Amino acid sequence: MSEKNNIDQKKDRIDHIENVLASVAAGDIDARINSDIEDDLSGIEAAIDLLIDDLTDELKQREKMQKEVEDKLVKIQEQQKVIFQQQSDLLELSSPVSKVWDNVLILPVIGTLDSQRTQVMMENLLEKIVETGCTIAILDITGVPTVDTQVANHLLKTVTSARLLGAECIISGISPAIAQTIVHLGIDLSSIKTKATLQDAMIYAMKQNKRSENVKLQSLFTDYDKREE
Amino acid sequence: MNNEMHEKRIPIIKIGNFLIVSIQVDMHDKLAIQLQSQILEEIEKTGAKGVLIDISVLEMVDSFIGRMLSGMASMAAIMDAAVVIVGMQPAVAITLVELGLEMPGVDTALNMEKGMEMLERRLEEEDYEL
Repeated sequence: MSEKNNIDQKKDRIDHIENVLASVAAGDIDARINSDIEDDLSGIEAAIDLLIDDLTDELKQREKMQKEVEDKLVKIQEQQKVIFQQQSDLLELSSPVSKVWDNVLILPVIGTLDSQRTQVMMENLLEKIVETGCTIAILDITGVPTVDTQVANHLLKTVTSARLLGAECIISGISPAIAQTIVHLGIDLSSIKTKATLQDAMIYAMKQNKRSENVKLQSLFTDYDKREE
Repeated sequence: MNNEMHEKRIPIIKIGNFLIVSIQVDMHDKLAIQLQSQILEEIEKTGAKGVLIDISVLEMVDSFIGRMLSGMASMAAIMDAAVVIVGMQPAVAITLVELGLEMPGVDTALNMEKGMEMLERRLEEEDYEL
């Protein structure tokens, strides 16, 4: 009799364990077996309780970490947005083309050149040449610390494109370091007019201007002479 | 067929010592070849000393047209006529340079006026040398 009772009681306890496990699995992390009877089953009960405790701790920690990661992600995304904005601002700011004299454009380049920047620079310069009708453009690279093959190539392309439009492009302010790298890299700049300083380039531009004006005046005079005859 | 070709001819105008060619339609390869021989014939017929080719309307120039233009410049040079290409668009210039067609030996000018000045200057220099 007492044995049967004992078995029934154990059955009840196992049912209880099953219920608790089911509710934990369903998400109720506060469910515990909490048995106060001391016998062979109580060890298993205590162990299960302990496991559930561990599981809850783990879950809580994971939630916390996930939240932290999400916060950080939002922060990084915001920073990225700012960086992109600044980059595009910089691109716009970094290549001003200004007309400094009749027929003369100047493009001062400051800072390190990358291909994207050189591309924007080149487009700006060519657009401006067509817009203003200036035939001389000075590319001043005094403010450029170093160049590599790609950048030198881009500079060459800019000068050649300007020539195709019908303008002359002069490069000024090539530093000793850049001169060394260009020669070491084996880039041939001999087809390009280079001047030591912006001043020299300006003087050259003025002379070119004067030359074409003189020719114009001369042709006017010869026309006049012919008419007089 | 003949009629159709006639319709698509690009006019070549003679002013003084120069020929003016204004390309105002999309160039395709056949038209380009036709134009090339047309211009060379006209140089022979009129004895022109310079040719101005206005490509300001062309939005796109492929490698074939680019080669045709630079080829024409050297052909005309042998026939004692200077070719000036006038009014190239920035995008076209960039494309040509990217294609590696830097057209050495071809003169270029920003617009028709400047191109004309250039040719006049060159003629005068030649006169001066004499």
